[in-house]
Amino acid sequence: MSAGGVLMETVRLTGGYEGRKVLDNVSMKVHMGEILVIVGRSGCGKSTLMNHLLGLVKPWSGEVLFEGADIWSDSAALARARRRWGVLFQSGALLGSLTLIENVMLPLEEFTDLSPAFRMSVAMDSLGKVGLDRFADAYPLEVSGGMQKRAGLARAMSLDPDVLFFDEPSAGLDPVTSAGLDDLILTINRLSGTTMVIVTHELPSIFAISDRVVMLDSSTHGIIAEGTAEQLRDSNDDDRVEAFFRRRAPGDDGGQDVS
Amino acid sequence: MDGLLDVEAAAELCALVDSAGPGSDPLLIDLSECTGFETVALAMLVQALMEARNRGADVTTTGAQAELASRIESLTRDAADYRKPAKPGGFRHGMIQIGEKVDSMLMTLKGLAVFASGTFRAVARIRTNPRLLRVRQTLYYMEQAGVDAVPIIAILCWLLGVVLGFQAGYQLKNFAAETFMPDLIAYSMTWEIGPLLAAVMVAGRSGSAFAAELGTMKVRQETDALTVMGMDIWSYLVTPKMLALMVVMPFLVLLADFFGLLGGLLIGGWYLDMPAHVYISRLALVVIPMDIWWGMLKSLVYAVIISNIGCYMGMRVRGGAAEVGRATTSAVVTSIFLVIVADAIISLIFVFIRPTVTV
Repeated sequence: MSAGGVLMETVRLTGGYEGRKVLDNVSMKVHMGEILVIVGRSGCGKSTLMNHLLGLVKPWSGEVLFEGADIWSDSAALARARRRWGVLFQSGALLGSLTLIENVMLPLEEFTDLSPAFRMSVAMDSLGKVGLDRFADAYPLEVSGGMQKRAGLARAMSLDPDVLFFDEPSAGLDPVTSAGLDDLILTINRLSGTTMVIVTHELPSIFAISDRVVMLDSSTHGIIAEGTAEQLRDSNDDDRVEAFFRRRAPGDDGGQDVS
Repeated sequence: MDGLLDVEAAAELCALVDSAGPGSDPLLIDLSECTGFETVALAMLVQALMEARNRGADVTTTGAQAELASRIESLTRDAADYRKPAKPGGFRHGMIQIGEKVDSMLMTLKGLAVFASGTFRAVARIRTNPRLLRVRQTLYYMEQAGVDAVPIIAILCWLLGVVLGFQAGYQLKNFAAETFMPDLIAYSMTWEIGPLLAAVMVAGRSGSAFAAELGTMKVRQETDALTVMGMDIWSYLVTPKMLALMVVMPFLVLLADFFGLLGGLLIGGWYLDMPAHVYISRLALVVIPMDIWWGMLKSLVYAVIISNIGCYMGMRVRGGAAEVGRATTSAVVTSIFLVIVADAIISLIFVFIRPTVTV
């Protein structure tokens, strides 16, 4: 999907937890329709950046702009933005007391005036897209981790969001399920033009789905590289970037290609 | 030694080293043929060497390869540098601990006040947006906190009525004043024991359940998911619980009063030979409607306290399963503490406003 204008951006974003700085002066842009993948080693601040973007953890300074409005200084802008976002958390974050279909219907109940019959129909359609229509009445704990994530994705998509956020979608999944989820992400992006912001460190997924990659590193608390996955792998002088994309310890000459 | 320095080889060497004393011949351990080592085995050997040297024995190693020599050196250095952590104690430490506890308690109370104000704002939002009144969830929690609590509250209050009636009768008999037993049961049950016992049971059953439910949702990122969906999590997760408790608590108090008085009736007939109609007519003389509805009224305050504390403790969970357990315990302990504080204040007011009944 070709990228359009800037939909979302961070401006000199600095933040962290309880006095521990995780991000320092991070500025980046998310373009309309693109699949932006945020990568980096464990502890580099990927999930923290995601939490700041989603309005869950307040940054120490800087701005998070969605269509030009700072979501952290304008609560109405944050509320408006959230109606247009969908989020897939690492665990799926389905409500354990509701069945899969009830989970998917939740945003429809909350934000639409659809009758129960139509809510059910839309939710079944969403579950069908992720191949879970046969498990509509199952509870989250009765299905596998991969199915929970797909159900989470169905819930995130139920209101046709403009932006979908994914926090480590492949974490804990086997390679086949993970590849299936990557295909699903690509299909949604190609068919509906949904902008995607994905946090991951799974190399095969990065190469399979990303239009653009932003790499964070804990040594600088910020972005150390930006470009396509292939550019970062093949033509980057930074040892940290090369080590990540060639899957080797920094300073080691060995490693392996993943693409 | 030769080959791998494993635990068995180290044990043999340690036995040798342990036998060395201040007057014994110098002991030289040749490690040049050592092809590898296990960390624990090497630590055992280094410990034995250090202890022997401290005893004044002349023990040394020789011929170790670079990596082995480096590990022996680092283990020796780290062991020598180790200082047992100082056991905290003394007046100053005690005062700091008390200060920290008080500070933590004040912070909890402040957080609770902010949280409760959020709950009331969410209730106020229902007026402008009736959709935020979650009828289904409220009914669910009414069943959980109210209907399901009926048997245990009924049995406990009945038993308490029996015990109280027996003890009162036992004492009053000495003064031939057993006819006043119903007065004592009536006042203690309706003023204090009924409302308080119902509150304690609800705090134990429902307050803890609220904290565990919300704590688990926090850990599983479910509350984050609701937040980023743009849902009003106060109205979805907190107000149904508070409203449910506010509806069921007065009825639970009424139930507690009834069964407590029933316990007194039983013991009056069995132990004091007091006919049922005498017991009931005595109750009718001494109990005024205000005794009953005041208890029901103060249970509304308890409902607000218990539901807000349960939800607050659950919502502030950070981390894992252990935190959920701590939140559950804190919810019960803090709820009961604040219910009793509130009860003391309300009872004081009651004593002043209740009209005197002359019999």
